[in-house]
Amino acid sequence: MRHAIWLAAFWLAGSAGAQEAAIGYVKNVSGEASVITAGKSAKAAVGTPVQQGSVLRTGPKSSLGVVFKDETVMSFGPDTELSVDDYLYQPGQGKLKLGSKLAKGSLNYVSGVIAKLQPEAVSVATPAGIIGVRGTHFAVRVEEE
Amino acid sequence: MRFSSFCAVDRKTLGRGLLAGLLALALSACGGKSYVVLLENPDGSTGKIVVKGAKGEQSVSVAGQGVPNDGSAPPAAIPQAQIERDFGAALAAQPKLPVRFLLYFQSAGVALTGESQALLPKILEEVSQRPAPDVSVIGHTDTVGKAEMNEALALKRAEAIAALLKDKGLKVHALSVESHGERNLLVATPDETAEPKNRRVEISIR
Repeated sequence: MRHAIWLAAFWLAGSAGAQEAAIGYVKNVSGEASVITAGKSAKAAVGTPVQQGSVLRTGPKSSLGVVFKDETVMSFGPDTELSVDDYLYQPGQGKLKLGSKLAKGSLNYVSGVIAKLQPEAVSVATPAGIIGVRGTHFAVRVEEE
Repeated sequence: MRFSSFCAVDRKTLGRGLLAGLLALALSACGGKSYVVLLENPDGSTGKIVVKGAKGEQSVSVAGQGVPNDGSAPPAAIPQAQIERDFGAALAAQPKLPVRFLLYFQSAGVALTGESQALLPKILEEVSQRPAPDVSVIGHTDTVGKAEMNEALALKRAEAIAALLKDKGLKVHALSVESHGERNLLVATPDETAEPKNRRVEISIR
């Protein structure tokens, strides 16, 4: 019984999230790319929503572009994997955070409103360290050992 | 420490003016395989990144300079050819940058100023130029009146603008209509201050 309640709660939270919690959208894809949200993988296409916790992946010879609600722009080269671990964009309440992690590949990053309003709330983690973003454009590459 | 000695040699050879190709090769060894490079902002300015890794902390504030992701070496120039090789595909995939418009109101109501009214066609055009356009219409007030009243007024303004844009043929992939009331001022003021610049609707087009 307890299990059933938990499952129902989980399912409700999940379905509500799918409707409301798009934090950005895929804007362009070339080759093979996917958006993995809550363990479910969807082929990335123009308009595919990205949510907090989503993992963005590109295959060989592929690329992907995403624009987030706060106007942060990210684009990815081939063989890339990035997870959007934290995303909070409620300027009215001062709730701002954008934490992502580049596991491998190449990322081009143009920071948005969150970095403008609260620079210390924006970071990109890599396997070797963490990049703090002070309102700017940069590119980062992670090559697997 | 092999990393830093590599870099020291590179700087010397750089001073002697080696062939550009060799230079790019040498500097790529200096930059390492996993690195971050600061680029010029779209508006021509340059910001800053701070890299904290297991092997050190570095900050970069010059466009075109980079550091290893582990923070093990100070900023060094990354040759354009290397940036193109390592990031060409990612840079080419950069979506059209978002734009933001500010619309202003005549007084306490929901009627736009003439200048703002004239921006509407430009807004529709910007939306139509983007794949899967994602638009936010965000209402704001000044600090005259109670916060709850302003929250409601700002939402009314945002809804009025969203309706106006729809009437004019706005087509979007996603639209959000929001109110920030008096909590997100453009011009900071004390409470109970009339400020026309704060009575606005922001349109964020992505």
